[in-house]
Amino acid sequence: MNFDGTILLIDDEAHIRKFVGLILKQQLGNPTILEAANGQEGIDAYQRESPDLVLLDISMPVMDGLQTLRRLKEIDPDCLVVMLTSMANRQTVEDAQVHGAVNYIRKDTPKEEIARAIAQTVATYFEADASA
Amino acid sequence: MEPSVTAPLSSLRGRKILIVDDDRLNIRILGGILKTEGYVLADASSGEAAIKAYPEIRPDLVLLDVVMPGINGFDTCRALRAEHGEDCAPIIFITAKTASDDIVEGLSAGGLDYLPKPFQAREVLARIRTHLVNRQLVEQQKSLVAQLSKANEAKNKFLGMAAHDLRNPLASIRGLAEFLRDGVVGELTADQVDLVNTIHSASQSMLVMVNELLDVATIESGELKIQVSEQNLSDLVEKSVFLANIEAAKKKTLIEFESAATPVIAHLDPAKIQQVVDNLLSNAVKYSPPGSLVRAVLTCSDSAALLAVRDQGPGIPEGERDKLFKDFGQLSTKPTAGEKSTGLGLAICRKIVDAHRGTIAAENLPEGGCEFRISLPLTT
Repeated sequence: MNFDGTILLIDDEAHIRKFVGLILKQQLGNPTILEAANGQEGIDAYQRESPDLVLLDISMPVMDGLQTLRRLKEIDPDCLVVMLTSMANRQTVEDAQVHGAVNYIRKDTPKEEIARAIAQTVATYFEADASA
Repeated sequence: MEPSVTAPLSSLRGRKILIVDDDRLNIRILGGILKTEGYVLADASSGEAAIKAYPEIRPDLVLLDVVMPGINGFDTCRALRAEHGEDCAPIIFITAKTASDDIVEGLSAGGLDYLPKPFQAREVLARIRTHLVNRQLVEQQKSLVAQLSKANEAKNKFLGMAAHDLRNPLASIRGLAEFLRDGVVGELTADQVDLVNTIHSASQSMLVMVNELLDVATIESGELKIQVSEQNLSDLVEKSVFLANIEAAKKKTLIEFESAATPVIAHLDPAKIQQVVDNLLSNAVKYSPPGSLVRAVLTCSDSAALLAVRDQGPGIPEGERDKLFKDFGQLSTKPTAGEKSTGLGLAICRKIVDAHRGTIAAENLPEGGCEFRISLPLTT
């Protein structure tokens, strides 16, 4: 899969940004990856860089994932957000979907599983456009 | 000195006793006796008045006359017990009648004892003391149980938080080790690969343990919720067998799957049941010697799906069967290739199967090895 768009990765844990960043590079070829360590930084980066896709952690200090998601949707109703979650917290995931997140990824699953979820999202929202 | 009598006395001082009697003289006599031990007294002149005043007075004990105008003592007793349930103060009947029928009726109405008139001061005090001490013990026990369940709750919360916070970093360590091992950031020497593999397998087994702790914490705090839908159990087991065979191959063990002729369709939570099947298969491999054959057999009756997993391990030691499905119930049996065990896996399985209203059981096989069986109702 070759995706050369920009992906904004918002997570307060540096090891997650590194890990998921490597998966993105391996899975998608050559994306530009931007990192933010909390919701506020993420929103600033979004406004500055207009990324194609946002991967957003649910539990973060300063501004949590759901708050960040609502804010991002206010700024850009079309922004494409995938939630990063660690526990299968159905309620939070459902809340995120209600607020317009298109998918969610469990960070604590094997990297193949994370890669599969990312590939699926990119295929749904970008390659469909290209093939249409 | 009578320590056994004086010891409770000081702590009973100030206990509140409600005397219910239409005869003022009785109240005066009883009051005189009771004041000598420092009890605090309240009185009511009828059953109705007692029922009305009870919540405000909150007595530790009630002395209740049987024959009164208005509702009698037995009915007053029933009304108090109905309204205040288990928390109701002990009720002792005051009665001139000592006919056993009356005593029986009083006890069946919820009274604990009776005081015959005319009053004998020592008897009155002794009986009241006994019931107050009993009540005190019950209260202490209740507060102890409340404290313990609070402590258990805190333990679960802590366990859940700790396990949860450990999980992400562990998953990252495992994943990053995979990137290193696979040469994504440059080729490694054989020695380096060996080290990285060690990091990988250590973080992998730690992740399994942390997940089990988290499961137990979640289940114990009552948050195990299953989301049931119609599922193809045959496919689910087949997928588990396929994945478990990858691990089993490292021990040259093979898992064979024998499915019912037609797919078994049942109402279940696929992720949770998958966890149970994974656990039974990995246990079977873990406790069988290298090079074993593990058999998983799925059958179906009219109302239930049955999965049996047979291993070639040493079986369950006599006398340890009780521990099998309990938290941290590790048996003396050890994994055959140094695998890890928290002793939680089967406890989690049992809780998940219970939540599906199914059963789980284990039995040693006459030909050696052990069979674990789960039975799940087809519809819930």
